[in-house]
Amino acid sequence: MQIFQNGFTKKRQLRRDFLTVGSLGFLGIHLNQYLKAAETTNSSSTKAKSCILFWLEGGPSQIDTFDPKPSSAFKPISTNVAGIQLSELLPHLSKRMDKMSLIRSMHSKGSDHPQGTHYAITGHEANPVMSFPSIGSIISKEKGGQNGIPPYILVPQWQNNRQYEQYFGSGFLGADYDPMTMPDPNQPDFQVTDMSLPKSLSEQAASGRSSFLDIVDKRYRAASQYAEHAAMDSFSGKAMEMLLNPKVRDAFDLSKEPEKLKERYGKDTVGQSALYARRLVEAGARFVTAAGYHTMAWDTHGENDAGHKNRLCPTFDRTISVLLDDLSERGLLDSTIVVAMGEFGRTPFVNPDRGRDHWPTCWSMAIGGGGIHGGKVVGSSDETGGYITSPATSIGDIYATIYKAFGIDWHKEYDTPIGRPIKIANSLDDETGKPIQEIL
Amino acid sequence: MHRLFFTLLVGMFCWGQTFPQSVQIYPKSILLLGPDSSQQFIVSGLFEGGLEKDITHLVEFSSDDSSIIRMDKTGRIHALQNGKTILKAKMGKTVVQAEVNVQGIEQQPEFQFAKNIGTILTKNGCNGSGCHGGVKGRGGLKLSAGSLYPEDDYEWIVKGGAYQVLTSEVKGDRIPRIDLKQPEKSLILQKATGSIPHGGGRRFKTDSPDYQMILEWVKSGAPYGAAVKKENKVVSLEVFPSTIALEAGGQQRVIVTAHFSDSRKEDFTNQALFASNNKDVATVDDSGLIHAQQLGETAILIRAAGQAISTTVGVIGSPVRNYPKVQSANFIDDHVFEKLRRFRIVPSELSSDSEFLRRICLDLTGTLPPPHRVLEFIQSKDPKKREKLIDLLIGSPEFVDYWTYRFDDVFRVSVNANALPKWSQMYAEWIRDNIETNKPYDQVARERLSAQGYTATSRHFLPYNVIAPVQEIVSEEVRVFFGRRLDCAQCHNHPYETWSQDQFWGMAAFFGRMFKMGDNGVADDYIVFDHPPTQKMGSGDVNADLKVLHPRTKVELKPTLLDGKVVEPVNEKNPRIDLAEWMVNHPYFAEAIVNRMWSHFFGRGIVDPVDDFRSTNPPTHPELLAELAERFRRDHHDLRKLIRLIVTSRTYQLSGATKPENANDRTNYSHAFPRALDAEVLLDAISEVTGVPEIFTIGIPDGKSAPKYSPIGLRAINIRQPETYYSRFLDLYGRPSRLTIPERSGKANLSQALNMLAGPVYNEKVSSEKSRLSRLLQSGKKDTEIIEEFYLAAFSRRPEQKEMSALLELIGQRLDRSEAFRDFVWAVLCSREFAENH
Repeated sequence: MQIFQNGFTKKRQLRRDFLTVGSLGFLGIHLNQYLKAAETTNSSSTKAKSCILFWLEGGPSQIDTFDPKPSSAFKPISTNVAGIQLSELLPHLSKRMDKMSLIRSMHSKGSDHPQGTHYAITGHEANPVMSFPSIGSIISKEKGGQNGIPPYILVPQWQNNRQYEQYFGSGFLGADYDPMTMPDPNQPDFQVTDMSLPKSLSEQAASGRSSFLDIVDKRYRAASQYAEHAAMDSFSGKAMEMLLNPKVRDAFDLSKEPEKLKERYGKDTVGQSALYARRLVEAGARFVTAAGYHTMAWDTHGENDAGHKNRLCPTFDRTISVLLDDLSERGLLDSTIVVAMGEFGRTPFVNPDRGRDHWPTCWSMAIGGGGIHGGKVVGSSDETGGYITSPATSIGDIYATIYKAFGIDWHKEYDTPIGRPIKIANSLDDETGKPIQEIL
Repeated sequence: MHRLFFTLLVGMFCWGQTFPQSVQIYPKSILLLGPDSSQQFIVSGLFEGGLEKDITHLVEFSSDDSSIIRMDKTGRIHALQNGKTILKAKMGKTVVQAEVNVQGIEQQPEFQFAKNIGTILTKNGCNGSGCHGGVKGRGGLKLSAGSLYPEDDYEWIVKGGAYQVLTSEVKGDRIPRIDLKQPEKSLILQKATGSIPHGGGRRFKTDSPDYQMILEWVKSGAPYGAAVKKENKVVSLEVFPSTIALEAGGQQRVIVTAHFSDSRKEDFTNQALFASNNKDVATVDDSGLIHAQQLGETAILIRAAGQAISTTVGVIGSPVRNYPKVQSANFIDDHVFEKLRRFRIVPSELSSDSEFLRRICLDLTGTLPPPHRVLEFIQSKDPKKREKLIDLLIGSPEFVDYWTYRFDDVFRVSVNANALPKWSQMYAEWIRDNIETNKPYDQVARERLSAQGYTATSRHFLPYNVIAPVQEIVSEEVRVFFGRRLDCAQCHNHPYETWSQDQFWGMAAFFGRMFKMGDNGVADDYIVFDHPPTQKMGSGDVNADLKVLHPRTKVELKPTLLDGKVVEPVNEKNPRIDLAEWMVNHPYFAEAIVNRMWSHFFGRGIVDPVDDFRSTNPPTHPELLAELAERFRRDHHDLRKLIRLIVTSRTYQLSGATKPENANDRTNYSHAFPRALDAEVLLDAISEVTGVPEIFTIGIPDGKSAPKYSPIGLRAINIRQPETYYSRFLDLYGRPSRLTIPERSGKANLSQALNMLAGPVYNEKVSSEKSRLSRLLQSGKKDTEIIEEFYLAAFSRRPEQKEMSALLELIGQRLDRSEAFRDFVWAVLCSREFAENH
């Protein structure tokens, strides 16, 4: 495996520099200050209630997907938006280009999967002395739950590489903001543990047990003083409410989805996870990661072209297209942000195994819905697709865009338990991310 | 009027029935150097009941020679003329005195930016870490926190510009904060007086001495003045008193003394910035006068001359009648009980045998005692039974299992995507061996810090099959072995501490010659080795130019200890050997580990969090911490001896049942405090009580291939690598992945509550055919016998009569006896008495 250092110094030109160039100089204010003032008061763009992260684990090749180039083995094709082309491997998405925008100037840190994933999902570089919250945890904290549905859900959980699951966690914010993790919804005997009472236990019996608990714990509760006891009691009350609420149970019951729709999404982990994400968002979840491509599906170090053509793009193209259609038909796309991205892109050149290796220097992702415009292209790369030729876009800029769509102040910093301030939208060089105006 | 009345009242109170038994003055003798020198005095009286009160505002000051010094109302004296005199403080008929020696009155004051301007910036809070002293400053102006780097401050004020984390280049426009042509128009003055909008509001008025000083400075051309000489540097601060007990409404003045590198001392009270950590408990004014508000304990943070220190204020309740005499078992109790007495908190009674047995078994072995052992212990009449049990437990195999598990956490044993299980197994075995052989802890640290080659510990430095960046390594080692968080200093000078970015990178440079050596492509063979500075390492050697560069200045750094000593790299020796030797002999080392061990037994460190030692996070019991550390060093860093010392103290053995006089105490160990069982211990306890062992799967079953299981009887605390064995239960209760240094919180959450109601662990273990309950029901045991066995197994006690009859009644009401008992067992497992160590 070859790991590339970030060769991104000369061509770097940051978004914020770009924004300071404006005609408002004569008013004595910089354009970005003006925008900041305007942005925080503009409520029309805070449409988002939920977000689905379509996680392309392993890192897709930008030139074979969202940023077609002559060096790709695949041809570019037109889309339903004039002037935007996609790789021919994404024919269905090309008919829905008006719903998604493409960011072709992504630049991130971390050139191997653990570091790259950590950076993509928290906006910070991994560090053994600090555990950072993921974007899903931050949105859960800022927006809270709705309708008794846990706000942050990860589906499915990882089979092996569980350290990635940790990266999707709450970091120093604490377990309240960890995602609820689900088994693989494509399993034949799929059942969500903890969200339904065991078959052997009736509702009546469940409440009958608490009278025993009252007796058993009485003596201890009276003798010792501990604030956590009240917290535990309040959680127990809430848990009981959730378990007895038919709407909540319903939301987690994937068997309620029509068989036909299940087939359209695709009867595999990728398809069913995305369908489940839609079902949970519809019920009120805030942030769902549809991680059907776990086990590094997009990590095409060998046979990149065959992988993209046969294994990866067909499932992705099918499922993202049905997801967009399904959300629109239900009137949910206006309030649901859809993000399709991996932890980095892939090299503009091929290795001896006809594969492409990791490339955080310049890559692409797709975003739309929830008030974020589709049919736009942000940023550009050179003829190889390996270097950015426009202002760079950071993970922090993407986060700021998402936060803004949710009506969350992206300038916020959280204090760690020892008082170190941590930006919720952390851009490059310790700057705060900036919402991408072109798509808001 | 109001104030006068108050003073009179206090005066009458003092002159009345509670006249002080003795009176003290601080300091006893002083040397005043130079024309502007002054010194604050504090007079305190010892009152009945042992309470010391500040009576400075009530005494009458006088001196033998009024031409040498003059006094003001607050108890501050000012130098007038060279000579010696005696200062007297009179309280009724009692007179106490201090020697005063004035010298150097003829010296011309010399302007120094650092001293004259820097002090104003600190005193007015301009360079606090929340304002311009923050990492990037505020509003385009950056100042060093507490004026630690006056040369930088000077440049930023006079020339403008702001700090950059990653480069020393100046970014953007440079706006000077002074105006030499129109000194009154200087930004620094206009902002600070609020005559133009200032985010920090008005800091001083135009008629204040601070304003005049800055104005004069700008008028005279804003010179830097004399540089601070090396021997003139403030090296530390001292505060008197260092702990203060006050009744609500009481007041206490503090004196801050600066110690200089030439061992001179000076009163810095007027140059210091004071802040209370908790204003509800106590407030502090600009002059260092503390006012007690309401019951509680807080730290008063003090900053001056780039240094920080704190004093602890306890606001205490009303006097306790017949304060009990409490027997000390060892010096731990002396310290703890002395403070409790001063703070008027009464310790709880000694724990009952049941309480002690359950607590000590969980704390030493992570294991509940079985019912027959509980009965045996409760019934034993041996007066030495507690000590005997402690020794038995410390010598048990479960002790080794449990403490290996504890150190697996802090030493981070884990398997991640790229590392081989073999590596982490070797590392885990090294930890187990350390515990089993009771290896001296300094030796453990040496082995880890200087590990290289085919040793288990060198694998620790290859977490992702590549050597971690030096800045991550040094942050982790300092946090683990010094209990300090140096990582802030990676990007900037530490905002609260005197850790500079240079010191951080100097320490990091010790790890800068490490490289990965081994057979290409075969990950098993990779090892860590330190490249000799001038020697070739064979063909394909690309590592000879290994360097650690300062991130801002890009200057190459040599390995440098925190105290500034440079260790020149030589071919013959791995530089980390010197680092390790220096670290284990540093006072921080023993303090950090005794504090960490203490927190295992009390749920909080004497410094808390355990790895956040800093001057602004003071220990609750500084003398106790110092003596524990000293004893630990004298005992050759013997962890078992330390553990034994802690658990044989009466403090550890106090009951968890509170009294009205201690129910609110959370920091002084007046009673045992409940601690949620850690995930692994809780799961093992559930398995033990229900009699149904947990079987873990290796990875998550995917429904396609046959699942792989753990060996039967594997206890959760013996799972070495969290990655290997999947357990939803353990994850819900906070089992850490150990990718970062674990901080287990023990806080309840919603997922746990759902799991209790509907999760498989609670429900399947309760209803299993092979459970303790099924066995008891099948063998025809009576209701009372079954209830008693579960109480013994889960709570290490017999049920009380009240509990027994209530349970029998509830069971009797149910049609299905087995189902009623299943509900009872579920309730036992879900009770807080079970899920906590208390």
